[in-house]
Parts: sequence; structure tokens; C-alpha cells
Amino acid sequence: MANIANIDVAGGVVRGVRTVDYVPEDFNRRPPRYYLLWLMLPAILLLAAISLYPLVWLIYMSLHEVQLAPGKSDVWAGIDNFSRLATDKKFLRGWLTLFKYSALCLSVEIGLGVLVAVILNNNRFEKILVTIFLMPMMMAPVIAGFLYMFLYNGTFGWYFWILQSIGLLEGGSILGNKFWAMFAIVATDVWQWTPLIALITLAGLKRVPQDQLEAHMVDGAGPFRNFFSVALPNLYPFLLIAILLRFMDNFRFIDHILIMTGGGPANATKILPTYLFDVSFKFFELGRGAAIAFTLLLLTILLGLVLTIVFEDPTRKLRTQRED
Amino acid sequence: MASREIVRYRSPLRSALQGLSILFLIFFFVWTVLPLFIMVVSSFKDLLDAFQLPEVGDWGDIGVMFDFKPTGAHYVELFTEKHFGTYLRNSLIASLGSAAVSVSLGSMAAYALSRAEFRGKRDLLFWIISTRMAPVVAVMVPLYVIFRSSGLVGTLPGLILAYTTFNLPFAIWILKGFFDNVPYAIEEAAQCDGCTRWQAFRLIIPLVAPGIGAFIVLCVLFGWNDFLFASIIGSGGAKTLPVATAELVQPVKIQWGMIMAAGVVTTVPMMFLGLLIRRYLVAGLTMGAVRE
Repeated sequence: MANIANIDVAGGVVRGVRTVDYVPEDFNRRPPRYYLLWLMLPAILLLAAISLYPLVWLIYMSLHEVQLAPGKSDVWAGIDNFSRLATDKKFLRGWLTLFKYSALCLSVEIGLGVLVAVILNNNRFEKILVTIFLMPMMMAPVIAGFLYMFLYNGTFGWYFWILQSIGLLEGGSILGNKFWAMFAIVATDVWQWTPLIALITLAGLKRVPQDQLEAHMVDGAGPFRNFFSVALPNLYPFLLIAILLRFMDNFRFIDHILIMTGGGPANATKILPTYLFDVSFKFFELGRGAAIAFTLLLLTILLGLVLTIVFEDPTRKLRTQRED
Repeated sequence: MASREIVRYRSPLRSALQGLSILFLIFFFVWTVLPLFIMVVSSFKDLLDAFQLPEVGDWGDIGVMFDFKPTGAHYVELFTEKHFGTYLRNSLIASLGSAAVSVSLGSMAAYALSRAEFRGKRDLLFWIISTRMAPVVAVMVPLYVIFRSSGLVGTLPGLILAYTTFNLPFAIWILKGFFDNVPYAIEEAAQCDGCTRWQAFRLIIPLVAPGIGAFIVLCVLFGWNDFLFASIIGSGGAKTLPVATAELVQPVKIQWGMIMAAGVVTTVPMMFLGLLIRRYLVAGLTMGAVRE
């Protein structure tokens, strides 16, 4: 941009000098280029075809009584599918159970994961132990479900035997008991995913400024004070990410629940996605299923919003910290 | 930067903590490894041996776990009578296919998203990440109806498309983070030297290649471990390993030996892959938010 300006120089003012505004650009950001659009297009179109198009269908289905038999056409139902949800006890209980399940999973996983990370940090065996601890994460959740079902079995399950031997369990069955079933499922999730929390926390611990720790110790703080007043505040962004991701996965993955209890006994473990699965793919009431799915997607969108905000800012902060 | 070494003095509190932490580590180690160990051991036991347990409270008799004659019968039966070879192939094709589609299209889009600045970019990114977050069951409801009417249910292409619903947004999102870390100056320099834009793009591929490789592996892992899509959309013609495993549960009797063997077959390859991409694992599983 050329401007005309008067500039001060030693000894007076020079009038009518052409100056150029120099705007330094962020070196990684460029003005729009159309070839970038073409690079983006195939992926965006495919993603739209498999996510937006089904979303339109989902809304259509939630307003109809969907007929799967060939030759029958869907019947307009208005908001019936939604209004029926308000009085659907299983639907409301599904939400409650989902939150109860998530709360249990998250609190145990965060507690154990942080403890493991703190102990492992700078431990002699850190590398090898971390490698061993990651193994459960690679397992398909269904297989984990089967494995735990085997361990909980009342006649030949080793975990059942252990629980009996230490006197926690009288007999009967774990997965058939309304009280125990929930904990059994939570334990499976905890077994698989605590290591992830530990790994995230470890990554965070590596970035706790050592000088702060040192200063704190020089001032006479013990290990507990050190953890709670220096390390933990530095860990918050990491824990926040861990909580959000795990919460999201808690209603994304229901494979092990379907295998182990199918939502029973007496709906004690029927978290909302499990209920949705039953409605849509056991009873094939796809219109009602679509309405339930819609409410679930609303929560997803809300979570997505939080995540984009959280990911944007702390990520940048974490990255810059990593570079120094 | 302060040094990493901090002088620690012995105190009763510290020694007690140390002892406790070692105990806890041992507990956590056993808790993590025991189920895996039991799975592997049970897959080599015949049914009678697998059901042996000591008396309640009889801790001394725990060695009964090792008291068996190893047999490979379950594995043989899986691959001869239960056609696990076919399911293994289905699993491979579905997960590799979806990984290939997702990462090839995803890396182009990720590059563009990383380099371009335009109105609505944030909204686009938000759409992409929320697609990835959507619960599989909820996505499957409309997808099932669409696939049914277009004859994709029970076919491998259908399953590949279904897996792409979570792999493609994952690939775009995480690779965008990777391209963000490559300075634009490199491409600029290449273009000064006479490269076309496409050549400049190809030039920085080697810089992100390890990451791209690792995320192909992760996409394969997500597809391989999926059960929900495979059980509904793949049912019939495109049975994958997890679904085939679930079908070993029959009303009359559950074939535990074979289920454990199928578990080993499904899990072991993924564990190796997980070790292979160890460096990228945390970034991959946290959508790039946390790097080690």
C-alpha cells in the first residue's frame, strides 16, 4: 500500500514522501489460494456424504414412523417420537445411568491414572512399565468384554474366585447382580483406559517447570505439598483433556456392555446408547431410535464445542512450552 | 532452565511413600497383566482344564492355573471349522481400506486446511471434530437405513464407508496439526526454485511421512477393533473378527476356549502395531491435544 506522508528527519520535515506500509505476515498463514480448495474438496464432499446426508435422514426419520418392510412407505408422525420420549422411563433412566457410569469410570480412572503417572515419573523402569501398561488399550472393547465375562463367571472365573476368597462376595453372580454389574462394567473400562490417563498425565508431568519444583522444595515443601501446589495446577489442562476425551468415549463405545450384560440386570447398566441400540436394532423402531439418537447428538455437539475451545488454546500453550 | 536432578533427603515419610508406591506399582502391574495372561493361558487349555479353580480361600492352590497340558486345538478349530481365515481377511480389507481412503483424502484436506485462511474455517473444523465425536450407535441409525436401500449392508465397501465416518475426520484433524508444524517457508523456497505447487506439496511429504504412517496404523486399529458397525452393517457378508468372536456364544454353550483363542488372534497383531507407533500413540489417542 503506497501512502503519501510527511516524515520527520534530522533537520526538518520532508513533505510528500511515498511510504509503504509493511505488514509482517505470520509465516505459516497465506491468503486464500484456490488450489487449496481443490485439495480440500474430495475429503469434505466424502465427509458430507457420510455425515451430513445421514444427519438429514436422521431428522427425517425422527419425524416419521419408519417402515423397513419393502413397499411400505414411512408414515408422518410429527413430533410424536420426541414427545413420547418425555414420558419414556427407560429413556430418562438411560441418561441417569450414563452419567452415573461416566462419573464412576472417570473418577476411578483419573485417580488411579494420576497416581500411576506420579509414581512412574522418572522411575527407573518407567519406559518398560509404560509399554506394558499400554497393552490393554490396544484390545478391541468386545474382546475385553468377553475376557472380563470369563473372569467374572460364577463357576470358573478367576476374579469371581478372588472376590470370594477375600470375602467380598458370598456367591451368586457378578453380572447378574444389580449392584455388582455396574461396578463390573466400570472395572472393565478402568482396566482398558486408566493407562491412557496415566500417559496423558505423564506427558503433563514432564512439562511441570523444574525450577518451580526446586524453589518450592528449597522453601521446605514436602512431597505432598509439592504435588498439590506445584504439579497439579500445571496438570489441569491435561486432566481436562483427559476427562473430555474419556467422557466422549464413554458413550461412543458400548461394545463391552452389550456383550457382558446387554444393559441388564433389570436395566441397571442400560446407559442411553445401549438403550438406543436396543430400540433401533433389536426392536427396529427406527423412528423412535432416530429421536433418541438426535438427543445424543445434541450432547455430542455441545461436547464438540467445548473441545474445540479447549483444544485451541491449551494446545497452543502446550506446544510453545514444549519448544523451550 | 533448572537442572532435572533434585537432591532428595531421606526422611521417614519419604521412605514410607516409596514403599507404598512400589506396592501400588506391583498391584497395578498384576491388575493390568493378569487378565491378558489368563486369556493367553486359557486359549491353550482344553475345556476341563480351563474350568479348574482352587477351593474358595485356598490361596496356596493357585498353581492350578498352570496345571494343564497345552493344546492348540482351539486355534486349529477356529481356522478350519469356523472359517476365521475369511473373517481375518474381511477385518484386514475393511480396516486397511478405510485407513487408505481416510489418510489419502485426509492428508490433502489437512494440508489445505493448515495452509488456507478463510472465513468459516473454525466452523468447518468444528464440524469435522464433532463428526468424529458422534456416538457410533447414533450415526448408525440413519446410516443403516441409507445402506439398506442402496444394498451396502453386509458388503465390505459398506463397512469401509462406515469406518470412514470416524477415520476420515480423525485423519483430517490430526494431520492438520502435523502440517501446522511444517513451516510454509520450505514450500516457498521450493517454489522459488521452480517447483510447481503440487511438487512443493510433495516435497514436504517426507517431513510428515512418519506421522502419516503412524496415523494409517491408528486408523487400521480403530477399524479393526470396531464391533458395532461390523455387527449391524457388516452382518452377513462382511463378518469381521470381533463379530465372528461374538458369534461363538451359542445359546446352549459358550465356547470359552475358542473365544479366548479368537481374542488372542484379534489382539496380538494390534499390540504389535501399538508398540510400533508408540511415539505417536498418545498424540493419536488424544486427537493431537497432548504430545509426548
